[in-house]
Amino acid sequence: MTTLDAHSWLAEHGDYLFRMARRQLHSDELAEDAVQETLLAALSARARYTGDASPRTWLTGILKHKIVDQIRRQVREVELPRDQDGEEAVDLLFKQDGHWAEPLRPWGNPHTEAELSQLRRVLDECADRLKPVMAQVFSLREVAGLETAEICKELDITPTNCWVLLHRARLFMRQCLELNGFSKAGAA
Amino acid sequence: MKWLPTCRETTALASRAMDARLSFADRLALRLHLAICRNCAQFNLQLHEMRRLFRAETGADDDAAALTADARQRIATELQKELDP
Repeated sequence: MTTLDAHSWLAEHGDYLFRMARRQLHSDELAEDAVQETLLAALSARARYTGDASPRTWLTGILKHKIVDQIRRQVREVELPRDQDGEEAVDLLFKQDGHWAEPLRPWGNPHTEAELSQLRRVLDECADRLKPVMAQVFSLREVAGLETAEICKELDITPTNCWVLLHRARLFMRQCLELNGFSKAGAA
Repeated sequence: MKWLPTCRETTALASRAMDARLSFADRLALRLHLAICRNCAQFNLQLHEMRRLFRAETGADDDAAALTADARQRIATELQKELDP
């Protein structure tokens, strides 16, 4: 019975877990590792699975921890940004007096499946263009939905550093989406 | 910070408000600025929009990405190793 379970998890939820991991880790290879670690962890913890949640929800919960582990490992290998990192790019968005350099355009309101999937592609591309640490903090917050206190702890960065990274990441993401046609005027 | 924050300062407040509860003074400053500034109001709206899009559960489903046959086989092998030691 357990044999069936572990292999059916892979068959039924493997791709789903892979996509979730890929969106946050921005790497096929790391996402595959995260799926494998998730299923192995699920296997050794299967006695604790009560059946209250669906298997997918349960596996997704385990996956989140594995993703955080992966990101923590990556962060150790990436240099944390100096305080000025990204500051110059932010300077371009504003005038000297602190006003926006360019007016912001309202975004379109995608409805059809095609529009939504186009939008998700742009979202992922923009996230890939963020500096690694910024992308990681942004993903943990906006995709995984972790609280900033958890993120600080996991990545061992100060809260101030965390706020600054999130602020910059959001400014860049917004800008990137607008430049890639996600505004009312440019919406296909 | 002056009594009314600049647009640049306001974007920092709006961003932080997505993650934590601001102090009374910061909340007031943010609200006042958003009430009179179309660009920052737009920015604030888009922060919420981005969150909604990123957290949409359906997000992962229409993505065509899938485990390769190789990866699937590798994982299945690892699982089997655990199952019969």
